[in-house]
Amino acid sequence: MSQAQFAAALLDPDLAAPATVSAGHRSRFAIYRNNVAVSLIEALATRFPAVRRVVGEEFFAEAARLFVARHPPTSRRIAIYGEDFADFLERLPACAEIPYLGDLARLEAARTHAYHAADAAPLGPETLAVLSAESLADLRVTLHPAVAIIVSAHPIVTIWAMNTGEQPFANIDDWRDQAALISRPAIDVEVRILPPGGAAFLTALARATPLAEAAETAQLSAADFDLTLNLAALFSAGLVSHMSMPPEGTIR
Amino acid sequence: MTTKSGLTKATLASSLAAAIALVSVQAQADAKKTEKCYGVALKGHNDCAAGAGTTCAGTQPIDYDGHYFKLVPKGTCTAMKTPKGAGSLTEKM
Repeated sequence: MSQAQFAAALLDPDLAAPATVSAGHRSRFAIYRNNVAVSLIEALATRFPAVRRVVGEEFFAEAARLFVARHPPTSRRIAIYGEDFADFLERLPACAEIPYLGDLARLEAARTHAYHAADAAPLGPETLAVLSAESLADLRVTLHPAVAIIVSAHPIVTIWAMNTGEQPFANIDDWRDQAALISRPAIDVEVRILPPGGAAFLTALARATPLAEAAETAQLSAADFDLTLNLAALFSAGLVSHMSMPPEGTIR
Repeated sequence: MTTKSGLTKATLASSLAAAIALVSVQAQADAKKTEKCYGVALKGHNDCAAGAGTTCAGTQPIDYDGHYFKLVPKGTCTAMKTPKGAGSLTEKM
């Protein structure tokens, strides 16, 4: 009997217990099989509390059970189990009437990654004082390892905040697209709404684009892009871990 | 300047100046709501973050170890009493 057969039977309740499991131990195998599924469902419930809150306990348990059967873990780290959960939810016909569910799951998955990302000391707001207009134009930055951006066509940050108790429940009168910024400058994971063009700006910076060029890209994506605001946020929210400026007089 | 940017240097300079003003206002506004407090955490309940790629949060070996800190509301640290003395804003040797 191969491990593969054993593993297959573990995840699919329709398969018979592996032949090497003696008749007297079949019921124990069933218990083990159930424990595997339940522990993975619990891992999803822990990682996606806002999704669970939105769809309700029962629906979540059923959706998670389906997911577990189709997407067994591919990593030993159970904390990041459910990388495909957002895509899975979006394909689930029953979720079609909750169009933001996939992005909500993406935001929650990104928070886990930010939590476990490498530590790095972010550059503080005093960094701005050492910059000049010249050095600023050609400045290249390395974003902090925990920084992630989730762009959504829905008010995803507000929905997340209301479903995790960060913000009281209320009608969302201003229902518009939001880009979420996930970061962890020190110990706690922070989630905030990026200003217009902020996602394009940070994405360009993450690709080592010089700052002036990144600002232009952002301006093209959002006419009301505010460079001052984004520049301040870069260093006051701890989004940058390193920066490099070409030495004076370098010809490139 | 080799940047083929349409942003003028003047725009960059004014944005930079405004950003510096903005962050100094922010800094005054929320001047850190917590402080690191040494010697008050119970075993395994410390908050510290150490070294690249690692975290030592929750690794404190004994109760009230002066080498480990916990983040506490600003201004409350030194008022905290433990069986091993009050909390300290610096590492206790």
